[in-house]
Amino acid sequence: MKKILIIFIIALLSSCKEEDATPTAPINDDFDTTTATVLKSGTLAGIGHTVSGTVTIYKSASSKTVVLDPFSSQNGPDLKVYLSKDINASSYLSLGALKSTSGKQSYEIPGNPDVTDYNYVMVWCEQFTVVFGRAEIKP
Amino acid sequence: MRSLVLLIFSILSVTVASAQQNASKSTSIDIGIGFGSSQGTLSGAYIHNWNIGKQQKIQIGVGGRITGYLGANQYYSTAPAKLTYGKTGPSVFFSENIEANIDTFLIAKPQVFAINALINLGYKVTQKITVGFNIDAIGFSFGDEKRGNYINGSQGQNATSKPTGFNLLLISDNDLGSLNSEFYGKYQLTEKLALKAGLQFLFTEYTTDIEVQQFPEPNDRFRNKSSMFTAGVSFNVK
Repeated sequence: MKKILIIFIIALLSSCKEEDATPTAPINDDFDTTTATVLKSGTLAGIGHTVSGTVTIYKSASSKTVVLDPFSSQNGPDLKVYLSKDINASSYLSLGALKSTSGKQSYEIPGNPDVTDYNYVMVWCEQFTVVFGRAEIKP
Repeated sequence: MRSLVLLIFSILSVTVASAQQNASKSTSIDIGIGFGSSQGTLSGAYIHNWNIGKQQKIQIGVGGRITGYLGANQYYSTAPAKLTYGKTGPSVFFSENIEANIDTFLIAKPQVFAINALINLGYKVTQKITVGFNIDAIGFSFGDEKRGNYINGSQGQNATSKPTGFNLLLISDNDLGSLNSEFYGKYQLTEKLALKAGLQFLFTEYTTDIEVQQFPEPNDRFRNKSSMFTAGVSFNVK
């Protein structure tokens, strides 16, 4: 029975796949912050991982955008940017895949919602259901 | 649904009853592992077979199986046939999925235990080689509460879920709960011991604590369909 269990665990571990990581080349999105209005902002802190930076939500003529600037994150697989109503991401909007582990980056909020109820921005490893870092955002 | 269950068990009862006449019997305990992409199973089954036919090459059996499933980062999809096919009943077998109705619930470490009654069909190709198929029919599942990520386009929710408690074999996505099945080949090493290998097809199902899916109608059931290779041993006990 012990041998069967060992074979089972080896088989399970050996079947794990290498996942695609986030690009590491620094980027500098050209979102113009001077013509937009700040709605909310906060400071990113790592949760068991190394993440740092500033999060700001801007309102422009027809859309709202989350900007990470400055920004730096430990790399990982399937990293996404979430705009969440609560600390547990019980209800969130996915802003898409993290563009890079460093540099200024902007993410348009889909559906142009009222952001009053959204209080956190998270860097979230979707495939492994792990939060890398988060910022509480306030007006 | 109740009529389908009755039909399955009526057919099984008649088959077993007729098989019992002039048939030799055999009983085995099978232990196997299944392994696939970032997932695996450990299962044990007790199977009582009746060997029928002129040369007693056909096996019809019933028994019980416990399956332990462990996965990593598995995607569960909308389960009810009413959503995945837009209808229920046997006709779903011949229908196309409605992709727009199918959402995803991602669980980082799913772990499900299922105890089910099973049906076995086998054919003795030679004295040493048997091929066959078995499938879980009815039973129950249990396992720890798991937090998962419901993903619907750009919107999502993280919610708590548990393995769906009741398992029932129906047809395709009409099924409920966690059900195991396998196509196997068995090679008799000695009178008592055989090696067994084949393909395992496993449904595991989680029910979320809230109805995270709202369109086209509220839903809390999500299913993972796993295909795995399986290998193990079979001990003849009678």
